[in-house]
Amino acid sequence: MPAGLVAFSLVVLALVGGYWVARDSAIDSADPPAVLLDLVPRLLTAARPAPATPELLVPGALLVFGVSLVVGLAVVRGRSLVAPVVGAAVLYTCTALLTAGRADRHGLVAVGLIALVAVGWLLVDRLEAGGRVLLGLPAVPVAVVAALAVVLPAGDAFEPRELVEPPVSDLGVASPLPQLASWANLGDIELFRVRGPERAVRLVALSDYSGAAWRAASLYGPIGAVAEPDLPPGARVDEAEVEIIVGELGGRWLPTVGRPTAVTLDGAMVDPDSGSLVLRTELTPGLSYRVRGVLDVPDDADLLDATVPTTADRYLELPGLPYSLAEYARQIVQNARTPYERAVAIEQVVKQGRTPDAQAPVGSSYARLERFLFGNPGEPGANAGTAEQFASAFAVLGRAVGLPTRVVVGFQPAAGEERVVRGSDATAWPEVYFAGWGWVPFDPVAGVSSGGSSAAQKREVLDRLASVTATPTSTPLSAPPPPPLVTPSSPVAAQATSAGSQRWIGYAVLGAVPVLVLAVLGLARLVRRRRLRAAGATGAWAYVLDGLLLAGRTPPANRTAPDVAAELGSAPAVELARLAEYAAFAPRHPQRPMATAPNVGVRPSSPTHGGADHAGQHTASGSGEGESAWRLARQVRVGLRHGVRWYRRMFWAVDPRPLWRR
Amino acid sequence: MTTTAVPAIGGDEIAAFRALHARLGDAVESAVRGKRDVVDLVLVAMFAGGHVLLEDVPGTGKTTLARAVAGALGGVSRRVQFTPDLLPSDVTGTSVYDPQTGQVRFRPGPVFANIVLADEINRAAAKTQSALLEVMEERTVTVDGVAHAVPAPFLVVATQNPIDLDGTYRLPEAQLDRFMLRTSIGYPAVEQEIEVLRPGSGAGQVGAVPTVTNPHLVAEQGRRLATLHVADPLLRYISDIGVASRGDARLRLGASTRGLRALVRCVQVYAAAQGRHFVVPGDVQALAVPVLAHRLVLTREAQLAGTTTEEVLADVLAGVAVPRPAAR
Repeated sequence: MPAGLVAFSLVVLALVGGYWVARDSAIDSADPPAVLLDLVPRLLTAARPAPATPELLVPGALLVFGVSLVVGLAVVRGRSLVAPVVGAAVLYTCTALLTAGRADRHGLVAVGLIALVAVGWLLVDRLEAGGRVLLGLPAVPVAVVAALAVVLPAGDAFEPRELVEPPVSDLGVASPLPQLASWANLGDIELFRVRGPERAVRLVALSDYSGAAWRAASLYGPIGAVAEPDLPPGARVDEAEVEIIVGELGGRWLPTVGRPTAVTLDGAMVDPDSGSLVLRTELTPGLSYRVRGVLDVPDDADLLDATVPTTADRYLELPGLPYSLAEYARQIVQNARTPYERAVAIEQVVKQGRTPDAQAPVGSSYARLERFLFGNPGEPGANAGTAEQFASAFAVLGRAVGLPTRVVVGFQPAAGEERVVRGSDATAWPEVYFAGWGWVPFDPVAGVSSGGSSAAQKREVLDRLASVTATPTSTPLSAPPPPPLVTPSSPVAAQATSAGSQRWIGYAVLGAVPVLVLAVLGLARLVRRRRLRAAGATGAWAYVLDGLLLAGRTPPANRTAPDVAAELGSAPAVELARLAEYAAFAPRHPQRPMATAPNVGVRPSSPTHGGADHAGQHTASGSGEGESAWRLARQVRVGLRHGVRWYRRMFWAVDPRPLWRR
Repeated sequence: MTTTAVPAIGGDEIAAFRALHARLGDAVESAVRGKRDVVDLVLVAMFAGGHVLLEDVPGTGKTTLARAVAGALGGVSRRVQFTPDLLPSDVTGTSVYDPQTGQVRFRPGPVFANIVLADEINRAAAKTQSALLEVMEERTVTVDGVAHAVPAPFLVVATQNPIDLDGTYRLPEAQLDRFMLRTSIGYPAVEQEIEVLRPGSGAGQVGAVPTVTNPHLVAEQGRRLATLHVADPLLRYISDIGVASRGDARLRLGASTRGLRALVRCVQVYAAAQGRHFVVPGDVQALAVPVLAHRLVLTREAQLAGTTTEEVLADVLAGVAVPRPAAR
């Protein structure tokens, strides 16, 4: 079997080549199977856009090679019509699964490709061959794929990346929060330049508060690897892409917009929860990259009634919260009905009577915050602080009343196409998470519009709060700490279950596609049989020819029906061939025999059968002949079916080959 | 699919024809044993109103067959032995002076018959051959500028010997084309040969062939069979065969339209002889070689390679898709 041998050696050669290319980048073991098997997970967990490194290119090359080899073998062996199409489809599917994932949620590209293939391969081919164009034939795959694309849940598209745990690195990167003061003092130093839409540029989001300081996350994975943030993004999102040219920024944090989804730096890693980008090495002046990110943009109305999750422990943690802060927070939000009103009230109270001061002592410990909030005039840092204290105070007070908060270090947006970001622009702001709407920034420093909430709306909220605020409660010390807000739904748990079910949907879709294809094929075969059935004896013969095709005994094109039947050697087939030829080639409307026929009376004809009666009788017997022809055809088919191998018999009813037999 | 303008032939008529055909065949077979298929072919040509060329080695019964057909058919039959010195007037007839009336009178030659046996036609000179071929096509004989019509059913059964080529004049293509059908007889099978050899078997005795019908009846039947139904797919099939033969690299000349028309004519009769009032593809395949092969002309290379037109035609037939009963 030389073809098989050649194919085998080619496959071995390809695998050896693939190993040879990829072995240098092997992580755990240099064992060839381990290296090769590790390639797919590595591709799935690679940062997006994936860098063109050898180990990431090898799986694609091997895939193309394998598919081409199989298709080539099929074509060489002459069973070719659909092999290239199937090969292309397999290639497309695998490529999409390996690289695109959710990029093409609706499968529009796939539908387009299938339509193109159907038109080019089936239609044009037939036109060139001068044959009839069966519009139904190309329409079938297109319709199937289009129906699949419509029916399948596009929102929960199957994502193979979810099945692979992306590798994470433990990078101990220092929080830039204390640096705010030094940047503010340096003032004019050019940190970096931004090109693109005017969005708040963020450096890092700090989620963990120890009571002494804010800490940045320490585990980072490749960007683009599918890992959902611990709190899902909001319903209204906006996407932005900016170009950043680094100046004197320093450190390892990369400025970005929103939650970054793609960055043009190979070494960039991301913390999927906070969306902070970090580079493995120190930033150097002149470094330039583009970053694309997603921002939550809730409307004013969205937030008024928004709830907050109670299970987001990480964002509610306040180890050893002093009573003074807790009670202060409780009093602030006394009359607030909704989480948003609480946030606005806290923002207002923190802003009130406190002044931004670049020279104020740094720090965000409880002690520093107590000094900042309750300090006596004259003490350093009393009622004065940098953005660090404003944001921290808001975040801690918010947590005390059940609002999930975090502190973001970023830069105030300036105007212009190319914006220079200087040291004095560095700032920090708190963010509150609202269920369903994502992280919403607040601005306790200036209190102006921030995030999705406009100044006018805040004004309204504050006015309402003022109208119900009578006096602080008479018994502040005995008041219990505010109970955590209970929201009816628990989105985090819901999200966990939806992630699980999503995976099952993926498996179900994978399993359903073959079933669906088989069902469609079986249906098409049934339709064809019905059509043949309606055609009577000629259809019965076509049905037998279908059977011959399925049995792998297609007769040559130059064999007449009786010849074919004689070769089959079955009496029903011979009789059927006779009937079929009669139906196909005899005149359609037999007229009365010529009255002046010579040599009459050879065949005794009944006197009751006049010429007209004869014709009528003939047409009436037409359906009867069709019936008997079909009886014969079924007999022949049963005989044929018995003669074929079991594995062919298994697909007898759904084999599509008779569909394009003419 | 097709609506025939002429009234189609009914089953009764076909049965009658089939019986007549069978009786004729039986009659001829009493003299020519074991060659029913050849006999049937000759009869087909006869009903189709065409001339027959029998080509075979000596001693296979060509002349016997021709004479037996003539005998079974009845009517006037004449025989002309073609020799190199045969003159056209020996075939067509000539004008002679009649001393009694004092006028020049046309004396008809042997072609003035219903069936003319032209034995060893390729032995005569081209001029004489053409004299016969004119009458085959035109059904008239022109002598001294006066056209004389031959009797109404007029059938030429010619024989020729393919091997003994010394002193023969090959029939030109144009003339071959006038024969509706060419066939060979071949040696009989062993049993039939023993039967023929048996003394007193009656084989080869043309005189004992009973006359079954008459030429006028045959002509009438032939005209009637011309209306037999031929479905459009079959006409297309026949046309496809012609087109394919014209495209074959081994042929200098493919099947002519006249040849294809003759094929249609023959399959009509053939189908009726099988008892069908319609033509099936098998009829076309059975008759394509006898009707078309002698009309094809090989290229010189193919001739040198030893190819025959029958082989080429068989290849052509194998390459043309046959119309099959298909759901419409």
